[in-house]
Amino acid sequence: MNTIVILSVTGIAAMMSDVFKLKKALFGLSLLGLLIALVFSVYDWGQYATYFNQMVLTDNYAVVFTTMLIGITFLWFLMSKDFFSSHSSASEHYALILFSLTGGVMMTNFSDLTILFLGLEILSIALYILAGSDKGNLFSNEASLKYFMIGSFATGFLLFGIALIYGATSSFNLQEISAYVQQHNGSLPMYFYAGILMILTGLTFKVSAVPFHFWAPDVYDGSPTLVTTYMLSVVKMAAFAALYRLFIYCFAPVYEFWIPVFAIMSAVTMLLGNITAVYQKSLKRMLAYSSIAHAGYMLMALASPGGTSRSALMFYLLAYAISTLGVFNVLYQVHKVTGREEIKSVKGLFRKNPFAAIMLTLCMLSMAGIPPVAGFFGKYYMFVSTLNGGLTWLVLIAVLSSLIGVYFYFKVIIAAFQEPELENTAYYRQPSDLTVLYICGILSLLLGILPQFVAGLL
Amino acid sequence: MVFLSIPADYIPIAIMFVVAIGFVVTTIFVTHLLGPKRKSEIKLDTFECGIESQSNARLPFSIKYFLIAILFVLFDVEVIFMYPWAVNFLKLGLTGFIEMLLFVSLLMVGFIYIIRKGALKWE
Amino acid sequence: MDLIISLIPLLPLAGFILIGVLNKKLPKGMVGIISNTTVLSSFIISFYLFLSFIKGADSYSTELFPWINAGGLHLGLSFMVDHLTAVMLLVITGVGFLIHVYSIGYMQHDEDYPRFMSYLNLFVFFMLLLVMGSNYVVMFAGWEGVGLCSYLLIGFWFKNTDYNNAGRKAFVMNRIGDFGFLLGMFLIYQTFSSLDYKEVFEAAKNYPKGDPTITAITLLLFVGAVGKSAQIPLYTWLPDAMAGPTPVSALIHAATMVTAGVYMVIRSNVLYMLSPFSGEVVAFIGMITALMAATIGLKQNDIKKVLAYSTVSQLGFMFVALGVGAYTTGLFHVVTHAFFKALLFLCAGSVIHAMGGEQDIRRMGGLKKYLPVTHITFLMGVLAISGIPLFSGFFSKDEILAATWVHSPLMFVVMAFTSLLTAVYMFRLYWLTFHGDFRGTHHQQEHLHESPSVMTAPLMVLAILSVIGGFMGMPHWMSEKLGVHHVFNEFVAPVIYSPKEFILSHTFDFSLLIGTIVALAAVYYFTRKMYVADKVVPEEDSETKSFQKVLANKYYVDEIYDAVIRKPLDAISEMFYKIFDINIIDGIVNGIPKVTNLTASAARMLQTGRLGIYLVVMVIGVIYLFAFKLLL
Repeated sequence: MNTIVILSVTGIAAMMSDVFKLKKALFGLSLLGLLIALVFSVYDWGQYATYFNQMVLTDNYAVVFTTMLIGITFLWFLMSKDFFSSHSSASEHYALILFSLTGGVMMTNFSDLTILFLGLEILSIALYILAGSDKGNLFSNEASLKYFMIGSFATGFLLFGIALIYGATSSFNLQEISAYVQQHNGSLPMYFYAGILMILTGLTFKVSAVPFHFWAPDVYDGSPTLVTTYMLSVVKMAAFAALYRLFIYCFAPVYEFWIPVFAIMSAVTMLLGNITAVYQKSLKRMLAYSSIAHAGYMLMALASPGGTSRSALMFYLLAYAISTLGVFNVLYQVHKVTGREEIKSVKGLFRKNPFAAIMLTLCMLSMAGIPPVAGFFGKYYMFVSTLNGGLTWLVLIAVLSSLIGVYFYFKVIIAAFQEPELENTAYYRQPSDLTVLYICGILSLLLGILPQFVAGLL
Repeated sequence: MVFLSIPADYIPIAIMFVVAIGFVVTTIFVTHLLGPKRKSEIKLDTFECGIESQSNARLPFSIKYFLIAILFVLFDVEVIFMYPWAVNFLKLGLTGFIEMLLFVSLLMVGFIYIIRKGALKWE
Repeated sequence: MDLIISLIPLLPLAGFILIGVLNKKLPKGMVGIISNTTVLSSFIISFYLFLSFIKGADSYSTELFPWINAGGLHLGLSFMVDHLTAVMLLVITGVGFLIHVYSIGYMQHDEDYPRFMSYLNLFVFFMLLLVMGSNYVVMFAGWEGVGLCSYLLIGFWFKNTDYNNAGRKAFVMNRIGDFGFLLGMFLIYQTFSSLDYKEVFEAAKNYPKGDPTITAITLLLFVGAVGKSAQIPLYTWLPDAMAGPTPVSALIHAATMVTAGVYMVIRSNVLYMLSPFSGEVVAFIGMITALMAATIGLKQNDIKKVLAYSTVSQLGFMFVALGVGAYTTGLFHVVTHAFFKALLFLCAGSVIHAMGGEQDIRRMGGLKKYLPVTHITFLMGVLAISGIPLFSGFFSKDEILAATWVHSPLMFVVMAFTSLLTAVYMFRLYWLTFHGDFRGTHHQQEHLHESPSVMTAPLMVLAILSVIGGFMGMPHWMSEKLGVHHVFNEFVAPVIYSPKEFILSHTFDFSLLIGTIVALAAVYYFTRKMYVADKVVPEEDSETKSFQKVLANKYYVDEIYDAVIRKPLDAISEMFYKIFDINIIDGIVNGIPKVTNLTASAARMLQTGRLGIYLVVMVIGVIYLFAFKLLL
């Protein structure tokens, strides 16, 4: 709860800083707020506490995801230092990001469907605006509008689902619903199941699972690069945390009903995401499709709930978010200098900055799931837990589709080691511009060498 | 407190549906049937409060109107929260009072933000 | 203590990283200081450990971190230091340090000096990992690491294609051995469900002697040793490995890495004890290798090649010792060999340095007066390796011979003959290089000079060690007289499982001594007569005839391997390539991306960018979902 309060206050402070001519302190202030929130979040470890009439529940699951969310946002801030400071409405953007993060934290701590809905909306509405924050760019406007339209459409489903669940169980509270379902299992009305499907639709939309993924490439591609980074890392993490929490805490008794849905969705998502990504020439769009594919892998955790799926999902999300931040840091710098976002525009990176190229390679390897980096263990844990769940066919498809993935991830690595094509490929103006890439590369490696430290948390 | 509902409970709603839709449909059809049909150029012209129409209805108008309107709606809706609070004021006691103070102060912050940003400046 | 033990390998690693990263940004002096101090510190720590062993410590072990946890397999990156390791540590860090010092002088003017020093440090790290590991996997990691460093350093001057090929040859040959080692490890794990030395050996003690599984394990491990320690049939890489800079030859291909196989067998002595058959194989291979390499050494004219074959031959000696069960003796020979062979190589380096890169002994001669220090120290080395009494080689070699006598007189005869050959080719090398008239070009003669003191100092230290190093393992008759025990055997004894005693009658000991002296005197006389008095110079390659030609061409082993293994393999792989690969594999490999690409271009079409269609598809999705779950 403290975390949520601190984050909201930080957000408000960020919003007001412009008004009170404190724009210079904005960056430091936001980082400070995030750090304090991080400390409070970690402090909650090992506790099991409810707040606001049992609407918020802080347990270890929530703590781990909250900490990850804040940590990733912190890195994101480091990476985007210059973008917003040069922007006229920087304080608004910072505030929106912080509000969005608050929504994300609510989504990981919720114990009540209304909080889930509130969190999701706080998260999303901020993003609708951020997607269009590059006002002069037509694609950015398009992304914003599309995201908003389809987003509200999906929210409608979610709300309808919540209403149906409430109708069937007369409660919003996860524990109460779960108890009710446990008690009346077998004699639940059909609209209860319809409610599950509706909620499932609304939430899988957020994680861009097929067939509710159509918005994703356009939105990810059109939004400003940094906002895309935020969507891919933080938003995906929050949405998955919420999805998993809801289905495990609440609908676990009727798991036979929804497991096949997730299994099939997962298979289709990873296949479609990977296959379509092969064709992309733009690095950003390729990563957008790859994020769809990754959503497919993450859905495996819901296709085989229980067991180690929880830590597998957590590890996968962390590995994915870290490598995404690293790759996007490069992409952002490349875009800033060359104005292009194709895969071939990273050519010559090794020549200019060998260390950065190596770190980029680590991040790409992590995405492709190749040892010894974090992504490999993300996939490994995920596959093991799915195998334990008995879904061998799904693992088979996952392995095959990740083979496809290797192809296009390696295109980037190869490009990074090729000779430069353009003259002015000075990918960074100051050495500090790629700090986040370095941090992410090293983190990926560390997590790959010592995965047990993090995977053992949940 | 669990309300057990059976499909029969929804009959009033169904009736409501039928009546509402029925009314609309009948009125549309009935006016067509009852009304005299005289077609002339003036009859088919765009109708605008008895005055001759001037130009296209989709005029660009100043964003300021929109901004003010949206802000009005925003603050108007927030005030609605006051009503249930006022009704339960005694029951909620001091905690409720403090919570409402918090709520209002947040609103206030938003208001300050709007003013300082110059959203309400007309010129 | 844990920290101190971990520091031994980590310091050279730190040196490698520091030099490797900063590379040419570091001043040359700093490079030398960093690389040397790290190894020296490791040596000091090793020495400290060694002292604690003398005081009676048993063994230390420490786990850095758990490394692999899979199923029932738990492996830690863990170190264990016992008496055997302590000896190896002293050799590696001690000799390693001297060679590092030497390298400062030898490689100073190479443009890639920092790279060289960083590789050397990396090598020391892996070698330490190899001997300090407390399970087979850590040993294997070090094993592969030293192989890598060897490859990197053989091809250090990578602009020369021959050198690169030599590096590759070493790598491939080693891979064959590693394969055996790996299989051996798998079998160990399958049999004992552990790869930890202590657990494996404890469990192995319950097996009967001659157990077939153990025999299989030991034979497979020995395949690994054969590759790494250059025994028949995988020895051909070692002479070619002389392409690397001379300090590398001294450190890696003489003193330390090639003895890894010996170390491995000694470490697994419990297993070998249980399999007499494997022992026979080890001894036999060692014997054949020793003899064959010694004969080849007789006719080589490249100063480093002679030493290389002598190394192969000496390694054969060690394996003979191990095969007959004299493990401490084998280790003893490892130690003395490290002293004198490192010395000989470094002297050779000094000679090559002076000769401006010339390595052919036919172009040398009379270097005695130009290189006084090198000459004296080289002579010490020659005397030591030839087994002149009271020099270090004498003690260790004598022990090996004694052990073979107990085991099988026939083997004794062969080995005695081989050690005679050793003396012959070493003295031949010595006379041809340092005596007689100078046979090089005038230009070379003008530039002859003694090496700087940074190079000669290590020579002197090693020379002293080569001379006195043997006294730590005095034969029975001698130790009895002096009232000193066989210090070395006693020190290593705790590591050996049921050590054998090879006690001979004093008569035999003395006759061996007398025989040695007589034989060596004869060798000295005849070689001196031939190469100094008669001034015989080995003929040019084209003039060599008959059996000598066979020897000069190393029994044509390389050519045989080429004809028997490489050519048929090439033919088969070409056939497979043309039939199988191009049609079937390529068809599949190219087919999958084609299908993927087609699908991708089709799937891409779905993404029209039109909001309405997106919404419609989404609704269709929901309808499917409902139909799928609720209506069916």
